[in-house]
Amino acid sequence: MRVGLLPTEGNSTYRFTVLLLATIGILISSLPVIVVTIMSFSASDNTGFPPPDLSLRWYWDVIAMFTQEDANSAQSVVDSTVTSLLVAFIVMIISTIVCIPLAYALARGDRRIRDGMELLFTLPLVFPLVILGIAFLLIAESLRMDIGIWRIVIPHVALVLPFVLRNCIGAMNGISVETEEAAISLGASPLRAIWDVVIPLMRAGILAGLIFALIISFNEFTITFFMYTIDVSTLPIWMYSRTVSSLDPSTLALSVFIIVADVVLIVLVDKLIAGRANLF
Amino acid sequence: MSTTDTHLHIDNVSKSFGNVQALKGVNLEIKRGSFVCLLGPSGCGKTTLLRIIAGFENASSGRLMLDGTDISQMPPHKRGFGMVFQSLALFPHMSVAKNIAYGLKLRKVSGAEQRSRVEELLNVIELPGIADRPVSALSGGQRQRVAIARALAIQPPLFLLDEPLSALDAKLRDNMQIELRQLQQKFGVTTILVTHDQHEAMMLADELVVLKDGEVYQSADPATVYQKPANSFVADFLGAANLVPANVSKDGHVMVLGQEIACDTDHPAGTSLSAAMRAEHIGLIPVSKAKGHPVGAVKFLRDLGPSTELVITVDGQDLRVRCDNATVPDLSIGAQIALSLDGTRLSTFKA
Repeated sequence: MRVGLLPTEGNSTYRFTVLLLATIGILISSLPVIVVTIMSFSASDNTGFPPPDLSLRWYWDVIAMFTQEDANSAQSVVDSTVTSLLVAFIVMIISTIVCIPLAYALARGDRRIRDGMELLFTLPLVFPLVILGIAFLLIAESLRMDIGIWRIVIPHVALVLPFVLRNCIGAMNGISVETEEAAISLGASPLRAIWDVVIPLMRAGILAGLIFALIISFNEFTITFFMYTIDVSTLPIWMYSRTVSSLDPSTLALSVFIIVADVVLIVLVDKLIAGRANLF
Repeated sequence: MSTTDTHLHIDNVSKSFGNVQALKGVNLEIKRGSFVCLLGPSGCGKTTLLRIIAGFENASSGRLMLDGTDISQMPPHKRGFGMVFQSLALFPHMSVAKNIAYGLKLRKVSGAEQRSRVEELLNVIELPGIADRPVSALSGGQRQRVAIARALAIQPPLFLLDEPLSALDAKLRDNMQIELRQLQQKFGVTTILVTHDQHEAMMLADELVVLKDGEVYQSADPATVYQKPANSFVADFLGAANLVPANVSKDGHVMVLGQEIACDTDHPAGTSLSAAMRAEHIGLIPVSKAKGHPVGAVKFLRDLGPSTELVITVDGQDLRVRCDNATVPDLSIGAQIALSLDGTRLSTFKA
């Protein structure tokens, strides 16, 4: 079926209503991005909207932040960016390693167990993030030892797991037991059958889950706000602390960089999985 | 090779799922190179039996002897039986060639040999030149053949098929049955096929095994099963048979529908029997010429082209009759007609 961008059926009132609702919806969801993007091109020192003049000065500022050593800041933007990327990367790896076997076991196992487990892994989603942050902080403090970057990685894994798991289970649902048995009947050991048949067929779902993990972990603020230390901090924390001291448009320019990276990532993966799994 | 040339001996195999007994002491001897069809209604245990042979299920009791070796405890991937699944279960992420070569790759066959074997099999299944296509680009019949080629590529001692043709449309299915039979004879591989389609089973089998409720009801060549069914279930399941009550009137004679006919029966006089008559074994004769024959009224009439299908009510009992169009008298619904029964084609069972 071909769906046009604009409604062509129905009378004019109906078309007008549909268009109006769609426009409002798109505006609301993209308004923050639009405002931030426009502001980042501001030529003035404050964040008054709309900006009186346009310039690229804040972008040069951001580039300078990354290229020049900032002696004033205890934790430079470069360090937090590196930490953010490292955390996101480790979270991606761990959640995938956990979720592939878990999804396999749940999809092939008892239906009731599966529903219960899915609910259990979804709990971090419905838990208030502030409470979750406090809980993880209490746990981390009670350990009485420095676990470095892991104090951020572990909460992120808990947060990301339901998304990755759901994508992996979704991917598993499309793989019949017979496909696996076919490989076994041809001489593959059960593990070999999973490696040769199940994992390649799950690839789209795994990829979608990985991107989720990356984006959620990279953007996570609330729990990280409880967990960060002087030595281990992420980019969102750095941006927040900067906006608290002085809200200048350089933070907004930095946001635009992040937004562009996110969009590129999503488009790339969407092309890569091409309808074989759902990102959202 | 053993003296009886039994390839697979299914020795008293039973299987229970919880309280449900899926198989009750199945005994079968499968000859080398034969084509065996496991036939039965759904839930009769035929697929369970096939999965036990393949090793995907373990028998609760009993043994499987392949060439005299007990393979009951051998894991499925060590058995090396080629299997074609109901869903075909082709690997959608691999090309046709990779699908067919998968078993060879696992056996560490060299790349060149894999390619030549794939080429050879594609020629056998008459689909040369599709090696590099993705399986998603194939039609139903082509997928079917690729699935068969994939299973045969590993030169399996046993070739197992689980209702492989059920997804095809009727015409294609007919063609595939003939092709499958020819392929099996070409390879000479011992083959076990599960089906619920009696026509398919008759078409393919050297040996027909009729299962019901986890028990073997009859195991013989298709002609015997068709003509000498072991019991009323088998008679009914293999092509619409009319089951009517009968009575042994004297030695070698039974009373059926009020007519005494000579019939091969070993039951003593007075025994109540049920007699099975196939629709095509009942003849029609005009009432005027039929003294002593059962007479009934035509209830349903349909010209099917080569033959005519009728339902005739005799003494309140509906009988299905199929007549050659050349021999069918001019009839209309409600007309009276007499039946001629053939005692040699009557199967009787203790009621």
